[in-house]
Amino acid sequence: MKRTLLIVFALACAVFAAGAARAGSGVVYVYNWTEYIPEGVIEQFSEETGIKVVYATYESNEAMYAKLKMLGNKGFDVIVPSSYFVSKMAREGMLHEIDKSKLPNFKNLDAAYLDQPFDKDNKYSVPYTWGGTGILANPGKLGTMPTKWADLWKPEYNGVLLVQDDLREVFGMALKAKGYSLNDTDPKHIEEAYKYLKKLMPSIRTFNSDSPKVPFMNEEVDAGMIWNGEAYVAMGEVPALNFVWPEEGGILWMDCMAIPAGAKNLDEAHAFINFILRPDIAKKMVEEWGYATPNKAAMALLDDDMRTSRVIFPDKATMAKSEFQDDIGDAIVIYEKYWNLLKGEQ
Amino acid sequence: MRIFWIACRLLPVYVFLYLPLAVLITFSFNSSKYSTAWKGFTWKWYAKLAANTQLVEAALNSLTIATLAASIASALGVLLAVALFRYRFKGRDLMQAGLFVLMMSPDIVMGVSLLLLFVAMGLNPGFWPLLTAHVTFCIPFVAATVYSRLKGFDPNLIEAAEDLGAGEFRTFRHVILPIIMPAVLAGWLLSFTLSMDDVIISFFVTGPDFEILPLRIFAMVKMGVKPDVNALSAIMVGITVCCVFVSHLLMRKRK
Amino acid sequence: MSNSRLFRRISIGSAAVWLTLFALAPNLLVLSASFLTRDEAQLIAPLLTLDNYKAILDPLFMRVLAKSLYLAAGATLICLVAGYPFAYTLARMKTRFKPLLLMLVMIPFWTNSLLRTYALIFLLKAKGLISLCLLWLGIIDKPVSFMYTETAVFIGMTYTLLPFMILPLYSSVEKLDLRLLEAAGDLGASKFKIFRHITLPLTMPGIIAGCMMVFLPALGMFYIPDLLGGGKNLLVGNFIKNQFLVSRNWPMGAAASIVLTLLMLVLVWAYHSSAKRLGKKTEGTAL
Repeated sequence: MKRTLLIVFALACAVFAAGAARAGSGVVYVYNWTEYIPEGVIEQFSEETGIKVVYATYESNEAMYAKLKMLGNKGFDVIVPSSYFVSKMAREGMLHEIDKSKLPNFKNLDAAYLDQPFDKDNKYSVPYTWGGTGILANPGKLGTMPTKWADLWKPEYNGVLLVQDDLREVFGMALKAKGYSLNDTDPKHIEEAYKYLKKLMPSIRTFNSDSPKVPFMNEEVDAGMIWNGEAYVAMGEVPALNFVWPEEGGILWMDCMAIPAGAKNLDEAHAFINFILRPDIAKKMVEEWGYATPNKAAMALLDDDMRTSRVIFPDKATMAKSEFQDDIGDAIVIYEKYWNLLKGEQ
Repeated sequence: MRIFWIACRLLPVYVFLYLPLAVLITFSFNSSKYSTAWKGFTWKWYAKLAANTQLVEAALNSLTIATLAASIASALGVLLAVALFRYRFKGRDLMQAGLFVLMMSPDIVMGVSLLLLFVAMGLNPGFWPLLTAHVTFCIPFVAATVYSRLKGFDPNLIEAAEDLGAGEFRTFRHVILPIIMPAVLAGWLLSFTLSMDDVIISFFVTGPDFEILPLRIFAMVKMGVKPDVNALSAIMVGITVCCVFVSHLLMRKRK
Repeated sequence: MSNSRLFRRISIGSAAVWLTLFALAPNLLVLSASFLTRDEAQLIAPLLTLDNYKAILDPLFMRVLAKSLYLAAGATLICLVAGYPFAYTLARMKTRFKPLLLMLVMIPFWTNSLLRTYALIFLLKAKGLISLCLLWLGIIDKPVSFMYTETAVFIGMTYTLLPFMILPLYSSVEKLDLRLLEAAGDLGASKFKIFRHITLPLTMPGIIAGCMMVFLPALGMFYIPDLLGGGKNLLVGNFIKNQFLVSRNWPMGAAASIVLTLLMLVLVWAYHSSAKRLGKKTEGTAL
C-alpha cells in the first residue's frame, strides 16, 4: 500500500513539475500552417533570443479559427491567418493590435503589400508570405498541357485530377472559369459554379489540401490545382511537371502574422514577428517553400533564377487577371451548402 | 499436409498484418527524401527524429497522459466492475447501459460532447480536460475485462470470506483483488494503448501547451512525405514488440 | 459493518459520479445544443429551434449516412470472411505457440493506427510494392494504383479493425465443445453440415460480438477514407467534424451526433436482444 502511495505521489509531482516548467516566461506559442516555416528557423530564433517556441500547426483557416474560438482567443501568441480571415477576426475582436514600434524590421516590407483593404494601415496584421493557386500538370504523360481552368473539364483529364480540399479554392476555380469573381456572393452564380463543378467530380481522383504535391510526386495524379509553392517543390523533384497560371487568372492569397486578443506573451510575440521579417529569414522561406515574399530587402538577397521564377512571382499580366481571396461574409453558408451537396452526392 | 492447410489459412492474415509494417521499416533506412526508389542505407532519419525536440516533448507528454489515464481508469474501472458484480442497486441497469454506450460511442461524438462540457464548465482545453477525457474513454474497457473475469470465478469464495468475518475492504483486498489482477493488468495495457492512439477526442480537448504524440503523428501522416515518419513508426513498432515479449516472458516466469 | 457500507458506497458512488459527469452530462449538453441556433460570434445562440433536425432529415444527410453504413458494413463483412477461418484454425490448433500466434495478431493493434494506415500507402500507391510486384511478374505492363479508391478504403478499414473481429471469434471457437462435432461426424454428417448446423450456431455470439466491434468504430471513422479514399465522399464522421470545425455550425453538428448516437443505440439494443435470444451469457464478454 505504501508503495502505491509513493508511486501516486511521484506521478503527481512529475505532473506539477511539468506544469510549472511551462508557466515560466520567455515562451511564445506559435500556431502556423503545416509545412510553412523552414527547418532550423525556430531553433535559430530560440538560440538568438533565448525565447522558447511552442509550435503547433493547422491545415485550414477554419480549423485555426474554430480552435481559437474554443480557447476564447487565448493560448496562442502568434497566428498566421489568410487575409480574408484577418478582416473577419479583426471585426469580431479576436485580434490584438500590432505595436509597430516593437518591429524595427517592419521597414523591410514592400509597401505594395501593406495597407490593404482587409486591414487598413496594418493595424492587426503583418504580411508573412503570399502565393496563389494555379495548374500543375505532367504534359509528358497527358500529351497535352492545360492553359486555363476550363481545360480541366475536358475528357482527357478524366480520373487524373487533383483539387484542393477547400471550398473557397474549388468554388473560386469554378467561378473564375465561368468568368465571375472568386469572391462572388450572388447565390445564382454560386449555384452555377456548383452545377459546373458537378460535371468535374468524375474526373477528380483525389481531394487534397494537406500536401497536394505528394500525389503529384507519387505520380498518382497528372493534373490539378495547386498552390504555387507546393508546385515549386514538386517540380524540383519531378522535372516532368509543369506549372501554369491559368488564363482566367489565379486565386491569390496572403497569409499574415497576427496576435490573438487573449495572447499573454506580447513581447515575445513581437520578437518572433520581427525575427520573421529579417531579410535572411524571409529569404530562407522563399527558398524552402517556394512562396513569394512581401519582404523587399529579402528580394535583393535572392538568386536570380528564384527572383525571376514565374512560378513563385507571377508576372504583371497574371497579377492583373488574378484576384486576392476576400471575406465573403454570410455567403459562406451558401458555399457550404453546395460544397456538402457536391461531396455528399457521390 | 495438415500443417500446409493450417499455414494456408494463417499465413495470409499474418502477411497482411505485417507486410506494410515491414515495408515501412525498411524504407525508414532509405536515404532518398521523397522517392520510393532505394537510394542507399542511412540512419539520418533517426538522428533527425532525435533532434526534433518538439516531437520528443510530445512523446513524453503522451506517455505521461497514457500512464496517468490508464492508472486512474483502472482504479475506477475496478470499483465499477466490483460494484456491478457484487451489489444490486437502483440504476444498476442504467449504469451498465451507460458503460456500453460509452464504450461504443464514436470518437467524434465523444470528443464533441466532452468539448461542450468543458466549455460549459469554463475549463480551458489542456492537460486536465485531456486527462479526464482519456480516463473516461478507458473506463468501460477496464470495467468490461474485470467484470468478465469476476463472472468466471466462484462467488462462494467471497461468501466464504465474508462468513469468516472479513469486512468488505479486506475481502476486496485479499480475495477479489488477487483474482482480478490479471484482468486489471490487461485493462491497464488496453487503456494505455487506447490513450496513445487517440487522435479524434484529443484533438477537441487538448490545448496549445499540451501537444501530444498522436496529434503530431496525425499532422506528419497527412503531410506524409518525409521518411522521418517511417523512422518514427519503426521505433513505435519496436517498442511495442519489446513490451509484448517482455510481458510475455514475465507471465511465463510467474507460472 | 459500517466499514462494509463504506466500501459499497465508495465503489457505487465513484462510478456513478464519474459516469454522470463525463458520460451523461456531455450527452445531455449535445442533446440540448441540437435544439439551439447557430451563431457566428458565440457559436451557439439560446434560441430554440427544430431546424437542425429538419436539415438532418434532408436527403443529403441520409445519403451521407447510407454511404457510411455501406462502407462500415462492407468492412465488417470482409473482416468476418477473412477472420473466421483464421480464428477457427488458430483456436483449434494444438501447439504451445498458440499464445504467441495470438499475440502476433495483437501487436499491430498496439501500434499507432495512423502510422499503420500510412504504412498501407506504401503498398497501394502507383510506385508501391503491389504495383511493382505485378509489374515484375509481368501481369501488368504499366504501374497500377489502388490509392483513392473504395477498395483502398475497405483495405484500410480491414487492416485497422481485423483484430477486433478475430479475438471474439477466437474465444467463441475455443469454447466450442469438440465432442459435439465428433458425435455429428460419427453419425455421418458431412463437413458442411456440421459447420452449418453446429459450428456456426455455436460460434454465433462471437460472430455478433466481432461484427459489433468492427462495425461501430468503422461507422465513425474518417481519416482512413480521407487518407486512402481521397476525401471524395462525405461520411458521417467528416460531416460532424466539419460542422464543428469548418462551418462552425455547432447545433447542426450536435443534431448529427444525436442521430448517430441513436442509430448506435438501436444497434446495441438489437445486439443485446439477439444475444439473449441465442441464450448465451454474452453479458460477460461484452458487459
